[in-house]
Amino acid sequence: MKKRTITKPVVYGVLIIYAVVTFIPFLWAILSSFKPLSEIVSGITFFPENFTFNNYAEIFSREPLFLRWMFNSIFITVCMVGLNIIFNSMAGYALARVKFAGRKFCFFLILVVLMIPFQVTLIPSYLILKAFGWLDTYQGLIIPGMVNATFIFMMRQFFLNFPKELEEAAQMDGLSRMGTFFKIVMPLAKPALAAQAVFIFMSSWNDFMRPLVIMSSEEMFTLTLGLNSFKGQYISFWNLIMAASTLMTIPSLLIYAFFNRYFIKGVTFTGGK
Amino acid sequence: MKMKFNKMLAAVGVTGMLVGAMAGCSNESSGQGDGAEGDQVTVELAGWGASPEEEELLQQTLDAFEEAHPNINVKHEVIADQYMDVTKTRLVGGEAADVFYLDAFEAPGLANTGVLEPLDEYVTDEFEIDDFQDPLLNAFKFDGTQYGFPKDFSTLALFYNEKKFEEAGLDGPPQTWEELREYAEKLTVDEDGDGTPEQYGLGFSSELARQFYKLEAYGADVVGENNEAAFASDEAIEALQPIVDMKQDKIAALPSDAGTDWGGDMFGQEKAAMVIEGNWTVPFLENNFTDLSYATAELPTVNGEKATAAFTVAYVMNKESEVKEASWELISFLTGKEGMEIWTSKGLALPTRESVAEELGFDEDPIRGAFVAGGEYAQPWQAGPNLPTINNNFNNQFTSALLGDQSLEEALKKAQETANKEIEAAN
Amino acid sequence: MEPARKETPSHEPDKSKKSKQPNKKQKPKRYMSKGWKEGLSGYLFMSPTIFTIGVFVVIPILYAFYLSFNDVQLLGGIGYEFIGLENYTRTFDDSRALIALKNTAEYVLIVVPVQTCLALLLAAALNSNIRGKNAFRIIFFLPTVTSSAVLTIIFMWMYNPDGLINSFLKFLSLPTYNWLADPDIALKSIMIMNIWATAPFFMVIYLAAMQDISDSVYEAATIDGANWWQKFIFITVPILKPVTFFVVVMGVIGTFQLFDQSYIFSGGSGGPNNSTLTVVLLIYQYAFKSLDMGYASALAVVLAFIIMIVTIIQKKFFGEEKLHD
Repeated sequence: MKKRTITKPVVYGVLIIYAVVTFIPFLWAILSSFKPLSEIVSGITFFPENFTFNNYAEIFSREPLFLRWMFNSIFITVCMVGLNIIFNSMAGYALARVKFAGRKFCFFLILVVLMIPFQVTLIPSYLILKAFGWLDTYQGLIIPGMVNATFIFMMRQFFLNFPKELEEAAQMDGLSRMGTFFKIVMPLAKPALAAQAVFIFMSSWNDFMRPLVIMSSEEMFTLTLGLNSFKGQYISFWNLIMAASTLMTIPSLLIYAFFNRYFIKGVTFTGGK
Repeated sequence: MKMKFNKMLAAVGVTGMLVGAMAGCSNESSGQGDGAEGDQVTVELAGWGASPEEEELLQQTLDAFEEAHPNINVKHEVIADQYMDVTKTRLVGGEAADVFYLDAFEAPGLANTGVLEPLDEYVTDEFEIDDFQDPLLNAFKFDGTQYGFPKDFSTLALFYNEKKFEEAGLDGPPQTWEELREYAEKLTVDEDGDGTPEQYGLGFSSELARQFYKLEAYGADVVGENNEAAFASDEAIEALQPIVDMKQDKIAALPSDAGTDWGGDMFGQEKAAMVIEGNWTVPFLENNFTDLSYATAELPTVNGEKATAAFTVAYVMNKESEVKEASWELISFLTGKEGMEIWTSKGLALPTRESVAEELGFDEDPIRGAFVAGGEYAQPWQAGPNLPTINNNFNNQFTSALLGDQSLEEALKKAQETANKEIEAAN
Repeated sequence: MEPARKETPSHEPDKSKKSKQPNKKQKPKRYMSKGWKEGLSGYLFMSPTIFTIGVFVVIPILYAFYLSFNDVQLLGGIGYEFIGLENYTRTFDDSRALIALKNTAEYVLIVVPVQTCLALLLAAALNSNIRGKNAFRIIFFLPTVTSSAVLTIIFMWMYNPDGLINSFLKFLSLPTYNWLADPDIALKSIMIMNIWATAPFFMVIYLAAMQDISDSVYEAATIDGANWWQKFIFITVPILKPVTFFVVVMGVIGTFQLFDQSYIFSGGSGGPNNSTLTVVLLIYQYAFKSLDMGYASALAVVLAFIIMIVTIIQKKFFGEEKLHD
């Protein structure tokens, strides 16, 4: 894998072309955030002709609740990432490795849950949250989202590949299942956990539909929700939307860059030497 | 490693506790009881997002209200997107705001379900209900019951670029739809001769909301007696064929054909010399295209009759509201003379009360006059409870007729059949 | 356990019975030897999931399932009228449902293989020893961090008749298209965008999975004289099978549930001439525009049933059963 990249120029060529294809739309979005609305809506210019910071200034000046929203978003996202990583991994591990009656059924159920589009479950979920009295509260967003079927499924698939020997050894040493899981398995699953952390961070940070329905007070809005209110009945303020979305992507990118180190070959986490 | 994971677990525990604690402080209950004197009452008011200018005007209006009613607090909630979907979900859960915006388009469907509080009982002489323009008031009146009062309205008018008119040797706006076509031909410019004009004569939108007003002049209907789709008639074809022809002759175009977002943008960029748009376009042009020299005119006559569309939004009251008296106070203030005057003072939307319109004098305004004049004969965008379904199917098929993939007759027929099948199956 | 049996659509009652029996009879016997502790710890591990998914997901799904047999009035006092299978028979009569399904199937067939291969190849390339791989990793990930509404808008500009893509094609003297207004092209435009936006998500998952492959496996192959490509095909791909199963299943579910893009592109109508109509867009139209929750739920159940069949086929194809124990 290391020395044998004979086809290197081709690989670089392809990667660079793909990088350009990926980067241009993104760059466009960022550059658009520095354009006035009149220039942005046409979508014709690439570089701003009338460079301006007004969009950002307007976002900050207009929204007195900005800090509160930021707190809400950070608080909710941190809770979601922490809870999801532990709970999804536990469930994924059990589905892959622990033999219990009803395991196949549980797995089947996890898949079924993913197959029903949320459009038909939105209203019933809303009614349940209402019954709990959790509308317009943090727990209304956090508790129902503290487990995620997609990542349970993902973790299960990861744990299927996991070397068995280590667990067996740990159990020989008298560690319980829980003990083995937290002390042996989790530390070794870092790449998968890192991927999970990145995705849960992003999905929680960017989540729009759930906060839109659940949160009604402006003080309870998340940043995504608060910054997306630049839409009139007839006109969308794309300059503000682009500026807001640029701001929103920065934390996600930082988190990704931070966790990226766990995907770099060279540090071996597996049992193999 | 162990340390780290223990820390993580601890963090989760703390988080859990925080969640519980936070829950306590965020549960501010909204108004209890029905505003007995001295008690503070909170009324929730929900609407969609708006431009900074509009938001400021609304805030001014609400401040004035709170000043006049010291015992009532207004909690303004913005639903940032998919307004009707979220509102319907909240209504099902009995958690919708006490007072909320409702577009005339959705009003019949919602009134039908009985979630709206009938307002007739609350109306006093002081409120001067006769002051409202009738068609707009009637857009929220079903079976003789008034469910909402229109807060403002917008009509469609013709925007035309004065410079381009001069260049083409045209004087004044077209008076009839036939003339509009002639004008559009003269105003279409294809300099490089590649068959795609750089400047179209007319920019228009294909949605039913922007087309329906032409039907009546030809005696065609959007919906029939039982609220079924009924637009696939010869008369409707007559009414809609001109725009289809213009589009296919490339003298009229949709905003997307010219790489623009909507009509106001198309006009501002001078990709179209004329567009049919509403008065929301005026502040947009003022803010973004300061150099543009343009004028507005009433829409050209359709089959010899004046016709345009009116889009109107009302404040309605949630039937489940626990603070109905206070909610009415809010509605009656916002749609009353004082509130409406503040709200419409900048002409972002037009007042629905004749007295306020007179006071503000928008009919004298060179740009806004055309919209006010249209208000006299405008048809509100509304056609029974099945309009959302009908609208969907029309939009879906009409575009393909514009593209020339099928004839207008075929498209209308297909749209009508599908819509009616869906309506029938739903009932 | 009750819930999911009901979940299986009613015309397949045998199947659900079959799956119930082994649970009750064979399994406990097999597990006896390992002791009840194992079973207990299984449920301990699953308990947060069972609670959360049970209360906040399974109950709403069961409710939707119940609604699918009723004529439902949700607004203004909830009212049901049991109408049996009427909502289901109605789906066969609904020409738009058929078109939506056809569009969606076409979409799945093209998008899933392309995005899976793309994600795998990108991950393999970025996992090898190339220069600047960190920069590449960050750039490739950008579409995933951008919100889908903003992405869609950017693409709408790029797809404009005078937009970036056509300008580029013109520059290369290639034919240009009316990407969004032409019914023959509209769905393909959405496909391109979707592949571009989702591939990085799966790429990261593949990247993470590749970290678990031990070097010793490759070293042995290197000694045998295998080249990069051979190692990729004969070592990496087989080891990644469970992850590929995840990627494909999630890809299928995600594409079958396509909604955002076609909603924004068509303004919610699914036009022009139904060319961007997808099943979930149709479900949405019924659920929220016509407030016909019963029929919308029936469509959702049918969709879930179709996805389930596709998933079972994949499960067989990937030999998932064997991986179980």
